[in-house]
Amino acid sequence: MSILVYALHYEGEFNKNSLGAVSQGAKLAKEIGGEAAAVVVGGDDLTDDLCSTLGQYGVSKVYRVKGPEGLAQPVVDAMAKIIQDDGYKYALFGGGLLGFEIGAGLTARLHAGVTMEVTAVRAQDGKLVAERPILQDSAIVDVGYVGEPGIIIGRLNAFDIQEGGDGSAEVQDVDVSFEDHSTKAVMVERGEQRGADVNIEDADILVAGGRGLGKAEGFELCEQLADALGGAVAATRAVVDAGWYPYAAQIGQTGKTVAPKLYLAAGISGAIQHKVGMQNSENIVAINKDPNAPIFEFSDLGIVGDLNKILPKLTDAVKAKKGG
Amino acid sequence: MASAPIEFPPPVDSAEEFIAAPTDPEDERIEVGVVIVGGGPGGLACAIRLMQLLAEDEALMESLGEVPVALVEKGKGPGSHLLSGAMMNPSAMHALFPDLDESEWPTYGPVDKDTVYLLPNGKRSVPLHPIPPPFKNHGNHVTSVARLGRWLSEQAEEAGVYILGETTGYRVLVDDGQVVGIRSGDKGRGRDGQELSNFEPGSDLIAKATVLAEGTAGHLTGAAIRHFGIGSEDPQQWELGVKEIWEVQKPLDRVIHTMGWPLKFAPKYREFGGSFIYPMGEDRVSMGLVVGLDYRDARFSVHDAFQELKTHPMVAGIIEGGKRVGWGAKTIPSGGYWAQPRQLWAPGMALVGDGAGMVNVPTLKGVHYAMHAGMFAAEAIVERLKNGSGEGVADLSNYQSKVEASDIDKDRYKTRNARQPFAKGFFVGGALASMMTISGGRVPGGHWATHDDATVPLFIGPEREYPKPDGKVTFDKLSSVFATGNATRDDAPNHIRIQDKVPLEVALMWQNMCPAQVYEVPDEELEAARADGNGKLDGKREVKLNITPSNCVQCGAITAKGGRLTPPEGGDGPNYQVT
Repeated sequence: MSILVYALHYEGEFNKNSLGAVSQGAKLAKEIGGEAAAVVVGGDDLTDDLCSTLGQYGVSKVYRVKGPEGLAQPVVDAMAKIIQDDGYKYALFGGGLLGFEIGAGLTARLHAGVTMEVTAVRAQDGKLVAERPILQDSAIVDVGYVGEPGIIIGRLNAFDIQEGGDGSAEVQDVDVSFEDHSTKAVMVERGEQRGADVNIEDADILVAGGRGLGKAEGFELCEQLADALGGAVAATRAVVDAGWYPYAAQIGQTGKTVAPKLYLAAGISGAIQHKVGMQNSENIVAINKDPNAPIFEFSDLGIVGDLNKILPKLTDAVKAKKGG
Repeated sequence: MASAPIEFPPPVDSAEEFIAAPTDPEDERIEVGVVIVGGGPGGLACAIRLMQLLAEDEALMESLGEVPVALVEKGKGPGSHLLSGAMMNPSAMHALFPDLDESEWPTYGPVDKDTVYLLPNGKRSVPLHPIPPPFKNHGNHVTSVARLGRWLSEQAEEAGVYILGETTGYRVLVDDGQVVGIRSGDKGRGRDGQELSNFEPGSDLIAKATVLAEGTAGHLTGAAIRHFGIGSEDPQQWELGVKEIWEVQKPLDRVIHTMGWPLKFAPKYREFGGSFIYPMGEDRVSMGLVVGLDYRDARFSVHDAFQELKTHPMVAGIIEGGKRVGWGAKTIPSGGYWAQPRQLWAPGMALVGDGAGMVNVPTLKGVHYAMHAGMFAAEAIVERLKNGSGEGVADLSNYQSKVEASDIDKDRYKTRNARQPFAKGFFVGGALASMMTISGGRVPGGHWATHDDATVPLFIGPEREYPKPDGKVTFDKLSSVFATGNATRDDAPNHIRIQDKVPLEVALMWQNMCPAQVYEVPDEELEAARADGNGKLDGKREVKLNITPSNCVQCGAITAKGGRLTPPEGGDGPNYQVT
C-alpha cells in the first residue's frame, strides 16, 4: 500500500475538498505502482454505503474508525496506527484548517517530513514530488521526501475531483485506542465562521463584488445573479472592511482561497491581495468600468462597462436560458 | 486660509494613555534585569554590550536574576521592521566587535566610487564635480539594515539576551516618577477592541533599567518625552523614504545620489529630497527616494514620485532587464541636533538612536550613531548597577555625558543647521551643503529653529501625472505592500489614531503621502468636493476617510503629519528581509 488519504465528512456527505484529495491520491498511487486508501473517523452516520462510495474516486479500501467527529487529535491517532500497521509511504490531505492540523500533528507524531500549502503533486521515479509556491507565490519549489512517511498537505481546493473508480471500495473497521489528550477536546458546536450561510470554498460558481458596486445595496445585484446561476457570493477585503458584506465571504490574502469553475468579478480592481485568493479559478470573468484595472490582465473574459446595467441583464439572460 | 494637519490632532493623549503604573498583580509581573524596546541596531548593540560587560562581572549578572537582559521586538522576525539606505559608517561595528574582521560583517562592503547627479528634468543628468563632501562615502559599508538586524539578533541570543519576538512595547511603566519597565501589548483583539477567542493580554515587564530604542517616530519614546518634559523646544521633523531592492543584470560599480527631478523645489511646493542608488554585491541594487515631510501639495506622493524616478534614463539604465525583489518605506528623523531631546534620559530610562533623533542629516548616517548610543547606554547602566544598592537605576546622566562627549553630538553639532535654513534635508543644494561641512559648521552659525511638519499649510495642486504602474518597472502601492510580506489580519483594532473627518486637502494629503494605501478618500466624496468647487476640488470640504490599517507598514509618516501611529499587535506589519 502506498498512499493514505484523509476524508472529512459532515451530515452524510463527504467534503468536496477531501474528495479532490481522494481522487488525487488514487491517481498518484497508480502512477507509482501502488494503491490508495482513505480513512474516515466518525460515528454511526458512516454507513457501509457512504464509505464505499469513496471507491468512485479511485480508492480500493476505506478504513473506518469510530471516534469523535471533526476533531484533529483522534484522526492523528487513527492515521498513525494505520500507517504503522499497514506501512503507508505517504499521507495526503486536501487542506483546510482541519487538514493542516491533522497533518501537522501526524508529522510530529511520526517524525515525518511535511510539505504544506501544496498546489500539485506528481509521480517521479516511483516517488511523489510535491510542488509548493513560495515567496508570495512568485516561485514554486519541488519537495521530495527522503524518509517515510511523507506528509503532503494541499492548499484548499488544489486537487480536482475525478470520478473514475468502480464505486465499491472495501470498508475495513479499525479499532483505535485514543491517547488521553486526544479525547480531552469535545465538539461543542459546529458553525460557519462569523455567520456565513454559504460555503464559498465549495461553490462551483462565485459572483464576487468589490468597491465598484458603489454601496452595500449593490450586493443585491450579485446575489440575484448568483441565485440565477446557482452559485454563491464572495467579496473583496475593501467591501468587507466597509461593512458591506460579511468577512466569511472575503477572498484573498487575508481571506479565503477559492478555485471555482467560474469566478465572476464585479467591480473588483484585482489587487494582488485579492488575486492570490482566486487566481486558480478555471474561468475568470471581470466586469469593471476602468479599462486599466489590473483584473483584466488575468481574466479570461473582460467586460468594460457599468455593472449596474450589465448584472441585471445577465441575471435575466441566465434566468431566460434556464427557464427556456 | 489653507488647512494644516496640526489643526486636526489625533484623538489621543499619549503622555496619559501610554504611561502608567504597573497593573498586573505583583506575583504575575515578569522581572528582568534590563529591558530594551526595539530590535534595531541601537537596541541590539545595547543588549550585546550589556552581556559583554556582565560577562566580566559574574556577581552583577547573578544579581539581575534569570533574565539579565530582555529585548522586545514587534516585528514578525528579527529585522522584519528594519529599513534604511544604507551606507553604514563602520566605527560602531569595530567598537562592538573589536576582534571581528570586516569581511565577516553581514554587509555588502565598501564602495570606492561616489557620484552625485543633478537631474534637471526627466531626461538629462548632470554629474556634480567635485563631489559635495557629505556625499563622500569612502570606507562606509553598503548595508541592509534588515539583514544587519537579523545578524545582530543572532549575536545577542548567543550572548544570552532573551529576545521576545512579536511583542510590542505598549506602555511605559512609571512608579513614583521612576521608569520601572514596560507593558507589552495585548494580542487577539477584534476590530472594536473586544477580546477574541485567542486573546492574550500583555504583561508587565519590570526592570532595573529600561532602554527605548524604538527607531523613528517611536511610540513609547514620544509618550515618555512628553511625560517627563525632556523634549527640545525645536520640534522633531521627518523625511519619508521609499526604497526598493532590485536584482540587476550588470553590477553597479559606484554609489549614486541624485537631486532634482522629479521633485519640485519651487517655494510653492517645497519638495526637498533626493535619491540614493547603492550596489549590494554583484547582482543587487538598493535604491530609494527620500523627501522632507514639510512639502505642501496634497497631491504629492513619495511612492509615486519614486516610481517616476525609475523612468529617468540614468536610473532606467541601471535596472534594465532587472526585477524588483523588495520594497519598503520608513521615515527618518531629520530635525538634527536642535530637535534632539534636551535630555536623553529620565529616571530609570534611556533613549537611543532614531527615536531620539540621532541622525546626521546631510551625510545620511544614523545606523552607527544608534549602535554607539546603545553601547553608551549599556555602559552607563552597568556603571550605575555596580555602584547601586540592588534597586532600580535612577540617574542616567552619565549616559548623556557619554553621548555628548562622542561623535554622535560632535558630528551633528557641525551640521546642526543643515536642514533648516536652506539646505533642506538629506539631499541639499550641493554647494550650500558643502559650505557647512567645509567650514566645520561655523557657517551658517547660530541656532536655526526647526518647524513641525504638521504645521505646514496645504493646498491641492494640479493633478499629477505619475506613470501608470506596469508591474515591471513601476508598481502601485498595494502590490508593493504585498511585496513586504505584510499579511496583517483585517479584523485587528485600528492602531492609527487619526481624525477621519477632515477637510479634503488634509485627507488627500494623507491618501497620497501614505506609501501603503492606508487612507482613501472615497470617490463620492471627491465628486461632492468637485461639485462644491464648480469643477475644481474644494479643499475645505469636510470628507470622511476610508482607513485600511492592515496595509500599514509602520513608516511613521502619519505621526509627523497630524496623526499618531501606535503599535498594532506584535507580529503585524511588514516582514522586511533585504531592506
